[in-house]
Amino acid sequence: MKTSQFLDPKVLARIDSLDLLARTVVDGFINGLHHSPYFGLSVDFAEHRPYMPGDDIRRVDWRVFGRTDRFYVKEYEADTNANFLVLLDISRSMDYSSNGLSKLDYGRYLAACLSYFSRQQRDRVGIVIFDQDIVDYVPASAKHLDIVLHKIDTLDSRRSGKFEEPLLKVAEILRRRSILVLISDLYEDPARVVKALSRLRHRGNDIIVFHVLDPAEIEFPFAEAAHFEDLESGERIPVVPETLREQYRSLMGEHLDTLSQRLVANGIDYCRFVTSKPLDYALFEYLSRRERMSRVR
Amino acid sequence: MGISLLAPLFLAGLAALAIPVIIHLTQKTKKEAIPFPSLMFLRRVPYKTARRQRIRHWLLFLLRSSAIVILVVAFARPLLENAAVGGIGLETAREVVLMVDRSYSMGYGDRWSRALDAAHGVIDGLGPEDRATLVLFSDHATAVSDAMGDGAALRAALDAAELSNGTTRYATPLQLAEQILAESQLPNREAILVTDFQKVGWQQEAEIQLPTGTELQLIDVAEPDPANIAVTNLTLDRIYRDGRELVAVLARVANQGEDSLKNAQIGLLLDGDQVGSQGVSVDANGSATVRFPSFAMPRREVRGSVQLAADALPLDNVFRFVLSPGQSISVLILEHANAGRDESLYLHRALSIGSEPPHTVTVKPISALRPSDLDANSVVILNDAPFPTGTSGTRLRRFLNDGGGVMAVLGPRSGPSSWPQDAADLLPGAIGVPVDRLGDRGGTLSIMDYKHPVFDVFSAPRSGDFSQARYFRYRRIQDEGRSAVLARFDDGNIALAETRVGRGKMLVWASGLSNSWNDLPLQPVFLPTLHQVVRHLARYAPRESWFIAGQVLDLSQYLAQGVVDGTVSVLGTGVDIIIESPAGEREVRQIGSTTEYLTLAEQGFYEIRHAGDNDVVGAIAVNLDVTESNLSRLDAEELASSVTYRGAGQAAADLAATLTPTEKERRQALWWYLLISVLAILVAESAISNRVSRRNP
Repeated sequence: MKTSQFLDPKVLARIDSLDLLARTVVDGFINGLHHSPYFGLSVDFAEHRPYMPGDDIRRVDWRVFGRTDRFYVKEYEADTNANFLVLLDISRSMDYSSNGLSKLDYGRYLAACLSYFSRQQRDRVGIVIFDQDIVDYVPASAKHLDIVLHKIDTLDSRRSGKFEEPLLKVAEILRRRSILVLISDLYEDPARVVKALSRLRHRGNDIIVFHVLDPAEIEFPFAEAAHFEDLESGERIPVVPETLREQYRSLMGEHLDTLSQRLVANGIDYCRFVTSKPLDYALFEYLSRRERMSRVR
Repeated sequence: MGISLLAPLFLAGLAALAIPVIIHLTQKTKKEAIPFPSLMFLRRVPYKTARRQRIRHWLLFLLRSSAIVILVVAFARPLLENAAVGGIGLETAREVVLMVDRSYSMGYGDRWSRALDAAHGVIDGLGPEDRATLVLFSDHATAVSDAMGDGAALRAALDAAELSNGTTRYATPLQLAEQILAESQLPNREAILVTDFQKVGWQQEAEIQLPTGTELQLIDVAEPDPANIAVTNLTLDRIYRDGRELVAVLARVANQGEDSLKNAQIGLLLDGDQVGSQGVSVDANGSATVRFPSFAMPRREVRGSVQLAADALPLDNVFRFVLSPGQSISVLILEHANAGRDESLYLHRALSIGSEPPHTVTVKPISALRPSDLDANSVVILNDAPFPTGTSGTRLRRFLNDGGGVMAVLGPRSGPSSWPQDAADLLPGAIGVPVDRLGDRGGTLSIMDYKHPVFDVFSAPRSGDFSQARYFRYRRIQDEGRSAVLARFDDGNIALAETRVGRGKMLVWASGLSNSWNDLPLQPVFLPTLHQVVRHLARYAPRESWFIAGQVLDLSQYLAQGVVDGTVSVLGTGVDIIIESPAGEREVRQIGSTTEYLTLAEQGFYEIRHAGDNDVVGAIAVNLDVTESNLSRLDAEELASSVTYRGAGQAAADLAATLTPTEKERRQALWWYLLISVLAILVAESAISNRVSRRNP
């Protein structure tokens, strides 16, 4: 799989047309929406760039001017960058698909797009890939986009998933406040989910939860009686969908509502994605909502 | 309609009906588990519920059940006991091949109309399930219709049929019938032969076996003892008398009846006018020759016919011919200036005999040769004379190049120095000193090319004895490879060689022809050999006076025949001609370098006309094959037993009486149709169940 596959031009073009990247939404999503977790300037020199009209002349590097007779402005990482970290759940349950596109693939596309956007805004991007433990970790950096995309490309779903242990480890290894984007199907007790994420939230991280679901998980459209096999545990049970459908839908709806309410109550942004929905449409919808929320703030 | 089963035990397979019931009631759960992300919301439910025992998808259930039932019945091998009332009527369906003889012997009396009536009767008897093929035959067979059950189309094809000029050959229609019947899927096969059963039409060499169970029905339209007289052959005898060409016509008349023929009138017609008539008497089953008085041959082509009084088969009572004026071959014999008086005696005498063609011989010394002499002659013989030099030599070489023929006879005066150097290329090689064979009583000819036109008439056994001639002396000629050696002496020296010069031919004979070096002129083979040499050098080919219907003719070759110098002098080449058949149909052909074939299908005269001015330039006489005139009868049962495994009508009767249930079932093959229906049901089942599955993943 090539990196460009994640950066689907169709996806990017549509968001571009909404002026998302240029101003409010992207700024809000990457910088503005999430206030910089640090106050003051960073001392991490990043690069020189030519002076542009409007730049503060105090940031002109006079030494360089003395050597080259040209105006260059010093850029520091903290000026433009925030840490942007994707937490991607690759447990076996994510490998389910009823319409050809699995939740895992959907999550990969989502992670790739968001990483790319963030890097466009000069954020430092990184990723944590986890199931019942951390499978892979790429620290946030301005130079790690390719590595992130490569990890996304090569990841594979093999084990069952848990929330608390890997997210606890994430909380321990993160030194800076970051924007954390969790992509998962959240098959866990909502209380545990909230508990695990709250730790991160309390450390000043801004958390966005992308809850990815397959349409069949919501609608439960099966007709024939059959054995259903749990993708993670391998357990099988005989099921007559006709008799169970309403009960399932009710439980699922309850689960989703609980998740949504508790996460929002804990200052965690929650957004549900269904894999039948076009990815660009879902992204747009979410980013638009974030943009509106930023204005409210 | 009674239906019975050959293998009723297979009905036990109906127990398999339980399979779809089980599938639809108890085994609805798919064998393969459906993977699902998490079972945290799924509750275990009792597996056996009232809803599961209810049959859903009734259409699928019925399809599956019916497929099993039909499959079981097919294996039980059903058969219809009384096929006459059978719903599909397969048992009575027939594949019929109706063969109608249209050879010209069917024109005898009212045979043809009776044959057509009989064939119509067969077509009228066809049932709705039957299929029939109409085959018309004489010496070749044609299926004029495909196998069909359309009686009207068959009648129309039969009404359009006409007698042909061909002879009877039973092998071809029977082979065609064998092929049609072998490919048929219908249970009953029938071959019907409507003919006059001529003995000449059947030869046992043909390997024909109609498929097993085929009923061969023979319809005989011949009379018990048919009588027939026919003109079976002609001889055209040319006589030259007082510079005139006379032709005598001899006709052979055959009587193939039990009664003798008394004083039947037979006439000779030339260009439509009767020029002779006389009575002929022929014994029963005998033949006689009639000689008409000679008539003077005009200097043009004549169409003639010999006609007998009509009988029941008038087609073979006339024999046509085309007679062209005989053309003489002019031969110029050139002698040495010092030749004796009778130097060319044997040559002259031998060429003076003969009428087909006659020869015009001129003898003169080579010193007296004038260029104009060559214009009037087709062949030049240098009898122990050297090739002329100067103007005459140039003219003689041109004569050769233009297609003339020259024979050089090398005798005592044809020494190595006598032949001019500029004509050395006309010889096989240099001329040497004479070989003297007096000591061993003379040599003989030992090797001859019997495929060459000069010798081919002697190729048959006892057709000419060349070993009697003794050659005491002959010239040694070196073989330098530029000539074809036609004969060699017994010591290997060249006796006769041929060199092509332009369009002409040059023959070289190494031993003289004057009875001094050899005694060939005294041998019986001398005269025919010399005649063949002259014919070959003059490129003479007699034109056929008649052809047999069905022959294929090379037009260019035919038009070149009978002309001495071998060219199509009447028409030239590259011209368009019109061929008009006896029936009046015209077609345009071009006489050119390519071979132009004409099939002579009809009896009568084909006319050849110039395409430009429509002038008639020639005619071709076509007669019927007289073997068909022999109406001797063939034993029909012999024919039937030769081509069927059992007798004709008896075979079918036996078949009907002795068909066992197994054979009946095999002929009906109902299981085959049942299996097809099972296949169709299963295809429908697959399509429907796929749709249901898509709707309920």
